[in-house]
Amino acid sequence: MFRSKASSLSTVIPLMFGQSNLACKFFHPVIASHGLCCHRSVIYKQRYRMHQLSAGRRTINTGTKVMAEGELPSVLILDIGGTHGVLEDLAALLKKHFHLITMKEFLGNKEEMRKKIQSIFVFECRPTIDRELLESLPNLKVIANSGVGVDHLDLKMISSFGVKVTNTPHAVADPTADIGMALMLASARRLVEGCLIALSPDTKYFAVDWLGVEVTRATLGIIGMGSIGYKVAQRARAFNMRILYHNRNQRRKEDEEAVGAHYCAKMEDLLQQSDFVMLVVNLTPETHKLIGKKELGLMKPTATLINISRGAVIDQDALVEALQNKVIRAAALDVTYPEPLPRDHPLLNLSNVIITPHIGTATVQAIRMMAEEAIANMLAALNDQPIPSEVFPK
Amino acid sequence: MESQELPYVLVDCIGGRLGVYEDHLGFLKKRFHLITMKEYLENKTFLSKKIRAIYVWYHKPAINEELLQSLNNLKVVASAGVGIDHLDLKLLSSYGVKVSNTPFVVSTDTADMGMALMLASSRRLVEGHEMAVSPDTEYFPVDWLGAEVSGATLGIVGMGKIGYKVAERAKAFEMKILYHNRNQRKKEEESAVGAIYCKKIDDLLQQSDFVLLAATLTPQTHKLIGKRELELMKPTATLINISRGKVQNKQNCIKVWWHDKSWENLQL
Repeated sequence: MFRSKASSLSTVIPLMFGQSNLACKFFHPVIASHGLCCHRSVIYKQRYRMHQLSAGRRTINTGTKVMAEGELPSVLILDIGGTHGVLEDLAALLKKHFHLITMKEFLGNKEEMRKKIQSIFVFECRPTIDRELLESLPNLKVIANSGVGVDHLDLKMISSFGVKVTNTPHAVADPTADIGMALMLASARRLVEGCLIALSPDTKYFAVDWLGVEVTRATLGIIGMGSIGYKVAQRARAFNMRILYHNRNQRRKEDEEAVGAHYCAKMEDLLQQSDFVMLVVNLTPETHKLIGKKELGLMKPTATLINISRGAVIDQDALVEALQNKVIRAAALDVTYPEPLPRDHPLLNLSNVIITPHIGTATVQAIRMMAEEAIANMLAALNDQPIPSEVFPK
Repeated sequence: MESQELPYVLVDCIGGRLGVYEDHLGFLKKRFHLITMKEYLENKTFLSKKIRAIYVWYHKPAINEELLQSLNNLKVVASAGVGIDHLDLKLLSSYGVKVSNTPFVVSTDTADMGMALMLASSRRLVEGHEMAVSPDTEYFPVDWLGAEVSGATLGIVGMGKIGYKVAERAKAFEMKILYHNRNQRKKEEESAVGAIYCKKIDDLLQQSDFVLLAATLTPQTHKLIGKRELELMKPTATLINISRGKVQNKQNCIKVWWHDKSWENLQL
């Protein structure tokens, strides 16, 4: 758990939970233009809080409305705290706007609870949304996901119940781009291996013929140039990297020029030229096993594969083979399928693999911002207002 | 050209875990006749007059007065790398021997390493990897968090070539950049990376989420970061050192860390 020293500091602490002097400003222009909501049975308050982040400058522009006590809409969550539950600090944020019902409470009193629940807050893919659950919640209006990926949700099925789905694209972009860069640098410079050598009780000297590969001036191929991919490109540019990208659609010329990115209409061209290949796509039927034996074979033998999208975008068996046979130099994965991998999986034992436990958005700041973005989405949906980040089935 | 006509250059050894790379022999031998320390010691009388240069590779060979006295035709000591704290510059100068280093080629890779360490530390990458591969891991806990680099404040202590390259990279992460240097940089250089000068190191230490040391090791920077400086830093801050170990007072680092658990994010 990321901890910090408590309140005896005189300096401002970068965004910590439970700090009452810290707050963020949220104001959605569309909600502002509607003024106060027209429901007469409840009292609404517009709430503004001042922006005072000393670390992290991203803000979510949404309006927040606090309803009168006793009339708070009910939101279903898996749990508060524990191994998979909503973090306590996030629960506190949610409680300002909603009445929280845990899965346990719901199952313990289904008849009374089922009609109350208007929204579900999905945190770290839980609770699982299945047909049975949807059938039991007649007044469910929206499922708000914490995070941008919604591959764990059956969008068609949910839509068939007239329920909206929302995600949090703004909160995730910076921290996920950061983890992409972190993995690329760590893999290139053999940081994990090096740390183990430096700390090992058996180390007597540092060998001079122990080398990594260079990031500066190398070629980075970004597969999937959405918001996150673009932020990766912005960062990579500062390392003088040559940037290639493959995307369903080519980006505007100005966007390309701003980061010096060259479009590769054919993914093969990108694979053949890149020293680092970074996967930043969402998981869809089209991107499932996008990188398989053929694609790995096209990559340079000195190349590194970095995955910050979803584990299933890579054919994992093909990856194991490619790494074992030195078809590619190394891989760095924030995501695998499943998570965690079975403890006897070959990927866990390869020296040229770095795996992180899906921490693309695991920062104090991002977790909070995702909750705030989800809250804004839920409030908009429940108040029949334009929803900032709605996701539609294809 | 016959090999006898190429200038004689002394190196410590070739190959093995500490020697000059065998891959490099190709281009070195085109220009120089390489003599290893072993060969020199076996044939001192003949070779000591021939040796015109010493190629110092990873701080070897160590150069002492005895060696300098016997190599009376030595003109230059060329050190690979930019740091020269392992060389006694005054001593070499007193023998009329020039010293050279390699400042240009090291700057980007060292800056890359600084960024790698900052990102790895803040996102707990090594810990995360160990959790992901550990045989005991059953699930990934949801309350396992790091701190964000994007938008945070980076304080660079020592804004030379390497420090400046770090600033260029950090700017792309929208970091707020403070720097402390013997001299303030030119305005254009500062604006290009959005760096703010802190004349007093204390100001930098108090405001930074990440403090990165990129200074050369000199008597002035020896133990530059000690107990006082560490205590001025935020308890949530991370210290990154890509300069020389002696720039921080390791003893005090450890003392402070154990004394007050709130320093657990301190990366040594």
